[in-house]
Parts: sequence; structure tokens; C-alpha cells
Amino acid sequence: MYLTSDVSSYLYEGVTALLAAFAIASAITIVKQKVVLYSAVALAFLGFSTAALIALLSPSAYGIYSVFHVLLYVGATVTFIALTIVLFRGIDVKPSPSAGVALGVVIAVLVAIVTAILIYPSVQASSTVPPALSLTELANQLLDAYWFPIIVLIVGLITTVIEALALARRR
Amino acid sequence: MLVGLIVLSTSIVLIAIGLYGLMSSRNIIRTLLSSEILLNASILFTFTLSYLNGLTYPPVIYSVFAISTALIEVVVAFAAVILYFRSKGSLEVD
Repeated sequence: MYLTSDVSSYLYEGVTALLAAFAIASAITIVKQKVVLYSAVALAFLGFSTAALIALLSPSAYGIYSVFHVLLYVGATVTFIALTIVLFRGIDVKPSPSAGVALGVVIAVLVAIVTAILIYPSVQASSTVPPALSLTELANQLLDAYWFPIIVLIVGLITTVIEALALARRR
Repeated sequence: MLVGLIVLSTSIVLIAIGLYGLMSSRNIIRTLLSSEILLNASILFTFTLSYLNGLTYPPVIYSVFAISTALIEVVVAFAAVILYFRSKGSLEVD
């Protein structure tokens, strides 16, 4: 029994590490791939792996959000990006000047180091498991405390539909 | 705990890659895709910190709004990209 629990723990951590590596590889593909359509496909894989990592953190608490992430982000946003890129078929990315690349590397590494220094010491102090998510409680919180942002969001999504129709009609 | 640290490190690396993409590319679409990497990284970061602090609802509510707003932002941004391409004939930023 103990051995089984140990093995499942190793498996859980191994799968998480594998998905993390996959997410990083997808992000590198997005930045480095010359054909932008392949970058959009890699963005879909990044969305899938992000959703899987969120679900793996705590399946009972964040599982529902990870489904939402796949449906809305990968299903709508990435598909829209890929379809739009198809409009620009044949356009590849020209090589950037080396000064921008060097500056990008320096800033990215600096931000990563500073974030890690700021975050890691506080992470080790607390380790409590989040409680399971209840859809009723989530709906109550959204409709009671966040009713105005929801209305703004609905108006924004409606204007998005109108804009998409205008784009499709080429006006 | 180890899983949380793995995911937290991943989100920090993703933030770095997204920033690198934003700084190094002159193509508008590539810049937008890099900002999407940053969006995914920030959501992952929020969930990991909430997981490590035992929170359930705040990250879910925040991320639902963030993802929906990102969808709107992407559509508006790509409309601007299409107009830019029609007027300039190129996707390169000067």
C-alpha cells in the first residue's frame, strides 16, 4: 500500500514535469518558429498544457476552470488567431536585428531571476490544500459580488461578435 | 509542494520567454502571440500561488474574467492588424 502511494506520487510529479517541459517547448516554438501559422498551433498546445498543469495542481478545486480554459481559450481564441493568420498566408517572419534579441534575453533573464528571488522564500512558508470547488458557491460569488464586471464582459463579447461579422464582410 | 514548485518555475520561465518574444520580434502577429504566452504564464502563476496558499475561488474568478477579456482583446487586436496590413502592405513594425 505504501509502495503504491509512493509510486503514484512519483508518477504525479513526473507527469507534471513532463507537461511543464512541453509547455516551455511550445512557448519556445511560438517565439522561434518562422512560419506564424505553426506558432499559432504551438499556442494551442501551450493552452492545452497550461490547462492540464492547472488541473494537476488540485483537480477538485481547479478542474472546472481547466475545462473552461480549454473550451474558451484554445477553442475560441487560438482558433480565431489561426484563422486570421491564414489570411496572411505566405508571410514569414524576417530575422530580427541582434540588438533587440540581446536586450530581450537580458530583460527576460533579469525578470525571471527577480521574480524567483521575490517569490520562492514566501512559498516555502505556507502549504495548505485548497478546498474543493462548488459550482453553486462560484455562481453565487459571481452573481452577487461581481455582477457589474459580468455585465461589462457580456457587452464586450457582444461587440466582439459584431466586429467579427464586420471583418468577415470585409468592411 | 513539489508539484507547486515545478509549476511555479514553469510560469516564471514562460514569463521570461514571453518577454523575450515581445522584445525581439518586429512582426505584429509574433508580438501578439508573445503576449498570449505572457497571459498563460500569468494565469498559471496566479493559480500556483493560490494553490500554495490554499485559495479556491479568487483565482478561478480572476482567470474567468482574464480569459474572456483576452478573447475580446485578441479580436480587436487582429482587426487592427488587418487594417494595418491593408494600409502598409506589411506586418513589420518600424
